[in-house]
Amino acid sequence: MEIIEKIKTNKSINNQTEIQKICLNKLQSNPLPNPKSEQWRLSNKSKFSNFLDYSVNEKAPIFDTPFPNSSQSNIRLIIGDNCQINLKEKNYSIKQLSEDKLIKYIKEQISCFDQNENWSDLLNLSLNCTKNTLGLKISGSEIPPIEIFSHASSDSLNAKTLVIFLEKNCDIDLLQVNLGKENSSLSQSTFFCLEENTSVNHGVVSYGENKSNLLNSLNVIQQKNSVYNLGSLHFKFNYARFEIRIKQSEGNAKTNIKGMQITKKDEQISTYTKIDFAGPNGFLDQINKSLADEKSHAIFEGSIIVPKIAQKTDASQLSRNLLLSNLAQIDTKPQLEIIADDVKCKHGATISQLNEEELFYMRTRGITLTEASKLQLSSYFQEIIAFIPVSKDRWDLLDKLLNEN
Amino acid sequence: MQSKMKESDPILEVENLSASTDNLPILKGVSLTVYPGEIHAIMGRNGCGKSTLSKIIAGHPSYKITNGDIKFLGENINSLEPEERAQSGIFLGFQYPIEIPGVSNLEFLRVSTNARRKFLNKEELDTFDFEELVKEKLEIVKMDHAFLSRSVNQGFSGGEKKRNEILQMALLEPKIAILDETDSGLDIDALRIVASGIKKISNKQTGIILITHYQRLLDEIEPNYVHVMSDGQIIKTGESDLALELEKKGYEWTDNFIKET
Repeated sequence: MEIIEKIKTNKSINNQTEIQKICLNKLQSNPLPNPKSEQWRLSNKSKFSNFLDYSVNEKAPIFDTPFPNSSQSNIRLIIGDNCQINLKEKNYSIKQLSEDKLIKYIKEQISCFDQNENWSDLLNLSLNCTKNTLGLKISGSEIPPIEIFSHASSDSLNAKTLVIFLEKNCDIDLLQVNLGKENSSLSQSTFFCLEENTSVNHGVVSYGENKSNLLNSLNVIQQKNSVYNLGSLHFKFNYARFEIRIKQSEGNAKTNIKGMQITKKDEQISTYTKIDFAGPNGFLDQINKSLADEKSHAIFEGSIIVPKIAQKTDASQLSRNLLLSNLAQIDTKPQLEIIADDVKCKHGATISQLNEEELFYMRTRGITLTEASKLQLSSYFQEIIAFIPVSKDRWDLLDKLLNEN
Repeated sequence: MQSKMKESDPILEVENLSASTDNLPILKGVSLTVYPGEIHAIMGRNGCGKSTLSKIIAGHPSYKITNGDIKFLGENINSLEPEERAQSGIFLGFQYPIEIPGVSNLEFLRVSTNARRKFLNKEELDTFDFEELVKEKLEIVKMDHAFLSRSVNQGFSGGEKKRNEILQMALLEPKIAILDETDSGLDIDALRIVASGIKKISNKQTGIILITHYQRLLDEIEPNYVHVMSDGQIIKTGESDLALELEKKGYEWTDNFIKET
C-alpha cells in the first residue's frame, strides 16, 4: 500500500482524473507486482523500489535535447511540453485526439489489463495527469518522420503517456526517445493502434544518466495487413524495464522486432515481450540482443502465443547475448506457447563472449585490442542501429555507444 | 646455407624457439633467419607446427614462448602485442581468413592501413584518399571494387578470401610476410593471380615465408630456401630443389631422416 500512499501524497486527490481514479483503485488490490510472477521474478527488488523513491513531478521540466533538430522536415514533439499539434496537409493529417476519445480508448485498454502484466501501465496511468498524455490520430501518406521525446528531470518521477492511432493505408517513420536525467525515474506507456494496411517503422531509443530508472511499456494492436517494424535500444539506466505487448488482432499482419539492451556497472535492464497471434497467417521475426559488462545484469523474456485460430503463423524469436565480463549476468528465456497445429515457429538463444580469433585477426592487421573490440561491438550493434528509423542519418548514436562501452 | 644476401642485417631471427599451448609443447627449438629479399618455404606434414610457428611470430595470445627468442630488425619482440608486431611490419596471411560480419571490408582495410602508416610516420588517409590507394592495389589481385563494400571475408569464396589477404599485404607493405597455406583451396588461375600479387609486392627489402604443402606454389614463386618441419622442429634445410625432392619422395623420406639423425 506504500505505493498508493506515495501517489496520493504526491497529488491532490480532488484533482485526480477519472483514469487515475480507476487505476488507483486497481492498484489498491494489487499495489505491487507479484515478485514470483514470470514477468517480475528476476527484477532487482532494491532497484525497483528505488524507482519509486522520487516524488512525482507533473510539471514539464526544461527539455534539453541532446539531438539537434537539424532536419527541417521532421516533426518533433515533446510530451508534456504544452504539446499541441494539428496538421492538415495535402497528403496527410496529424491531429490531437480529443480528451473524450482519449479517455474512452484508455478505459477500454484498462478493461483488458492483466493486473500483474500491465502493472507498469497501471502505475503510469495512475500517476499521469492529462497534460502529460499525448494522443495522436495520423492519416495519409508521405508523412514526414516524427520524433517524440519523453524525459524525466533530476530527482523526480515523471510519467508520460502516448496514444497513437494510425488510420487505414497510413505509412510512417516514428522515433520515440526516452531520456532519464540523473537520479530520476521515467514511466512511459505507449499505446499504438494500427488499422488495416498501415505500415510503421518505430524506433525506441532510451537512455539515462547516472542512477536513472525507466519503466517503458509498449502496447501495440495490429489489424490485418499491417506491418509493424520496431527497432529499440536501451542503455545507461540504473534500472530499466522495456515491456512490449503486441497483438495481431485478426492475424494476416507482419511484425519485425530488432531490440538491444546494453548494461554496465551494476545496471539492470530487461526486455519482456509478448506477441499474441489472434488470427491466421501472422508473421513475426524478432531478434533481441543483450550486451552485459562489469557487474551488470541483462534480461530477456519473450513469449509467443499461437492459439488454435492462428493457423499458418510463421514466427521466429532469437535472443543473442554478449557477455563482456565474468561478473556480468544475462538471463534469457524465449518461449513459445503453441496450440495451432499448422504453424512454423522457432526460437533460440545464444550467449557468447567477444570472438578471440576475430580479435587476433584484426590485431595482426595493426588494429589495437581496444579498437578491434570496438569494431567487433559495432558489428554487433549495426544490425539493430540500422533498423531504428529517423536517427541513423544524423545521430551519431553508434559512436556514442562505442565510446561509452 | 644463407650466404647470398648477408650484406644487410636480418629482418627476422627465430632463435631456438620453443612454445606451448595449454602446457602442450608445440615448437621444440626452431631456428630460422630471414634476410631482406629472401623467400623461405616451410613444408611439413599437418600438425608439425608450421602454422603455430607463424602464429607465434605474429603474437597469438594462446601460445606461450617457453624458450628462445624472436627478433625483428634486431629487436626482441617476444613480449610485443600482435598489433605492435603488425604495425612494425610483420604480416601474417591466414590459412583460414576470419569472417567478421558487420564490419565493412573497406573500413577494416582503412583502419589497418592507417595503423601501419601511423607507425611509419606517414599521414593517415581519409576515406577518399584511401579509396584511391585501394583502387590501385585491387589491380594487383584482380579484385572487384564490390568486395570492399561487403563485410570482411563474409560470403567470400576460398579464392576471394586469399586474394583479400594479399590485398591487405599490398596495403600494409610489411617488412616480412608469413603466408600460411595461401595456396590451399585455390584453382590454377587464382593461384597464378595470388602468386603474381606476392611477387609484385615483394622486393629486395622484404622477406617472405611461404608455408605450403605443395610444389605448385613454389613453381610460381621460387624460394631461396626450403625448410622441412617435423614434430615442432626444422629437420632439414635446403635450396629450392629440396621441395622437388620432397614432392617426389614424400614425407616418409623425412621420417627416415629423423631416424638417421
